[in-house]
Amino acid sequence: MTNKIKIAIGAVIVVVFIVVGFISFMDNKIEYASFSDAQKKLKTVEVKGSWVKEKDAKYDAAANTFTFYMKDDSNTEMKVVLDGAKPNNFDIATMVVAKGKVKGDTFYAKDILTKCPSKYEGKGEDVKNTYKQQ
Amino acid sequence: MIGKVLIYISFAASILSITGFLLTHTGRDKFLNMGRIFFHITSIGFITASLYLLYIILTHQFQFAYVWEQSSTDLQLPLLMSTFYAGQEGSFMLWAFLTAVIGIFLLNFVSKGDRHEPQVMLVYTLVLSFLALILILKSPFNYIWEAFPKEVEYGFVPPEGRGLNPLLQNFWMSIHPPTLFLGFSSLTVPFAFAIGSLLKNEYSKWVTFSVPWILFSGGILGLGIMMGGYWAYGVLGWGGYWAWDPVENSSLIPWIINVASLHTILSQKKTGGYKKTNLILSILAFLLVLYSTFLTRSGILGDSSVHSFVDPGALVYLVLVIFISSFTLISLAAIIFRWKSLKDLRTESSKFLTKESFLLIGALLLSASALVVFVGTSLPIVSQAKVEANFYNKMTIPIAIFLMITMGISLYIDWKQTELKKFTSNLILPGILSLIMTIVLVVIGLHDPLYIIFAFVSLIAFFINARLAVKVIRNGKLSFGGMFAHIGIALFFLGVIGSGRYSEETNLSLERGVPKEAFGYKFTYSGATPFMDANNKRDTMYAFNVTVEQDNKEMTMRPIMFVSTFSNGIMKNPDIANFSYKDLYISPMSLEEPDLYPKEAQYDIKKGEKKKIDDLTVEFVDFDFGNMQKGGKEMASGNYTLGAILNVSDGKTTETLNVKTQFVNGQPSPMAFMMKDNRNYEFYFLNMSVKGEEAGGTTARIVVLDRNKNYNTTANEVLVAEVSIKPFISVLWTGVVLMFVGFIVSIFRRRKEISMKYPDVPADNKTEKKKK
Repeated sequence: MTNKIKIAIGAVIVVVFIVVGFISFMDNKIEYASFSDAQKKLKTVEVKGSWVKEKDAKYDAAANTFTFYMKDDSNTEMKVVLDGAKPNNFDIATMVVAKGKVKGDTFYAKDILTKCPSKYEGKGEDVKNTYKQQ
Repeated sequence: MIGKVLIYISFAASILSITGFLLTHTGRDKFLNMGRIFFHITSIGFITASLYLLYIILTHQFQFAYVWEQSSTDLQLPLLMSTFYAGQEGSFMLWAFLTAVIGIFLLNFVSKGDRHEPQVMLVYTLVLSFLALILILKSPFNYIWEAFPKEVEYGFVPPEGRGLNPLLQNFWMSIHPPTLFLGFSSLTVPFAFAIGSLLKNEYSKWVTFSVPWILFSGGILGLGIMMGGYWAYGVLGWGGYWAWDPVENSSLIPWIINVASLHTILSQKKTGGYKKTNLILSILAFLLVLYSTFLTRSGILGDSSVHSFVDPGALVYLVLVIFISSFTLISLAAIIFRWKSLKDLRTESSKFLTKESFLLIGALLLSASALVVFVGTSLPIVSQAKVEANFYNKMTIPIAIFLMITMGISLYIDWKQTELKKFTSNLILPGILSLIMTIVLVVIGLHDPLYIIFAFVSLIAFFINARLAVKVIRNGKLSFGGMFAHIGIALFFLGVIGSGRYSEETNLSLERGVPKEAFGYKFTYSGATPFMDANNKRDTMYAFNVTVEQDNKEMTMRPIMFVSTFSNGIMKNPDIANFSYKDLYISPMSLEEPDLYPKEAQYDIKKGEKKKIDDLTVEFVDFDFGNMQKGGKEMASGNYTLGAILNVSDGKTTETLNVKTQFVNGQPSPMAFMMKDNRNYEFYFLNMSVKGEEAGGTTARIVVLDRNKNYNTTANEVLVAEVSIKPFISVLWTGVVLMFVGFIVSIFRRRKEISMKYPDVPADNKTEKKKK
């Protein structure tokens, strides 16, 4: 095999790899969006926001869904139905990220991430609390 | 004070050490000892600072902010020790500690004869300087009044620490992070060798010297990564061992590049080619470690990972960026500067059927998969988006298939010339065995064509490597390490096929005492047993006893849930039953308490609405907030009394009832209210209902209970659990272990090779020789 053929084969493989990679990449890309964007797009997105604690949240054992209300960063509120149980640390999460799609006026989430920054870093007030407890 | 001073000493000593080595590099040999001595001071500084941190943790000195934040007096010794690296500051300290310890071994290694000592140590010490700088800015030795000057007065010592997150309270916390960090730290060595060789402009020796170190990094880092996988699978109940999470990915990328470099280095040792490739891969592996640190420490991935991050502050962010960019620039400059002397001088064009070509193909495939993971993981940084796990699976499986083909057949290919006949005849036996095994797998349920191919090529790789390993061991040689690692990877992939593509899962709602069937097993939940875990003295844990029956055989599985005082959330741990060819995995989801009131007796009524309920007409007039402000402090605290004013009419009389409920921690404990004249109904107020909030808090959920009626209620609690079957997952773990053994064996072999090729020269002799 001459070098030219080698280079040609190599180039073809690289191009195929990049094209396939790009298509798959675009297929599986999930964008962050607000609820109103999600309503327009109707495809899977991730919405950042927080749990509206005042409204009750329910786990339905039969359907294995967890329903709650969430407010996104632009303060739009929406009912969220998660496919699964209440996520770990949900109660103390300062932020939740829901991945899913809007159908009608409900956001159907496949997956939810909870973020609890306070988990790892103490705050000054907490020092006092340990003091008080004693 | 002591800790901080030690870090400052390390920093200053590292600068002096670099100066010493730099002067030696420019030909002033008498400065070599200066470099060495100050290197030892640097290392000892870091080691002592680490021991001091451990000491203040073990003696519970909560006046140190880091100790207060991460640990507490109720932790068992192994976990107490692990709070050393539970936070950012400590994990940088651990990184510096391990790098310092490895550095002592490295200095000892390179000082034996002409092994580019000043150049290698100069680069290595520079890394330590940067680590010292980070530790100065992000010190684990800050006093609590320094950390919180506004809230805490000078000299205050908290009596207790915050404690360790219960998610981290298990065996793996003691072993996974240090292993991973050891892998990360050790990748500094091949980097130092690569840049050192560029400084020296000499490229033949370093490939031999750095191989045992590269093997060490590969083995340890690989093991560390998969320990994390086991932690997620066996303890955290994530259901799998790999989720393509950015944090996992970011440690995988340097590992793949490290393994790729191992293969092209073999080629350089044999043929002299691939100088640039090897330098670039070794440099890249280290830069990717820094990149990984940046991704996980900068808070940049905060939204896209299951791991939690803390924003380290703008200053540390900046230092991390400077850290990465300066080492990237140094590397780039060095390579560009030496570009001409890095030319491949070989004239004859190489043939395709040579070991060299196949090692190159292997390295290219590995690099391609690293690129895929890199692009996917980096996406959240450059745009408001991320990729789904599916992207990685789709892209890496075809690459893995070609990788397995290469890993198998390359063993029957020679360095010089491969006889096609001999080559094909060698493939017959493994081919037949793999075909039979694949057919067996298809019969027991492997149907996806892509995965059938994947299984077949993995089996070929397995059989070829196993066959040769047996041959090598019979001949009493040490060179079976690589084959072991290959067998490990092949088994690993077979485990991935089984557990990744063919795991089945279902959700079971197990009412206490009522059996349910799934996957041919009968599951019966028989109640929870409270217990205390030695590692967690704060929380009572509950083991949920689930009896699993099949063919008259019975066992009890005990997934765990508990409410953590630390995080105020529910912690869930799965239970796993290991069978020879599959795992039965029970992951608890929730425990449903029986309803206090039957669903059919619950009603939502809007303000002003009249509802016909049996013989009654119920009008909801308004909420009674008492003297509390709506949505005010009391409500936020969860402890308050709230009522609903109802006009109730049974046709004869109309009464106004103020049905009140006391809320304790947000949970209602309703009281029964009745009409004066009609004692057939009980009224309860549950809450402002969800529907109501949409309309501005105007709907109440009430209970109207007919005392003469029998309601259907679930009397028993219900355990909701996800039950899954993971086929061949034990094959995967076996693969990991074999791979690690393979790396270790190879280290011994390559070390032996070095001592044969370059016998130790006492350091003093060498300098004397030069003087003469």
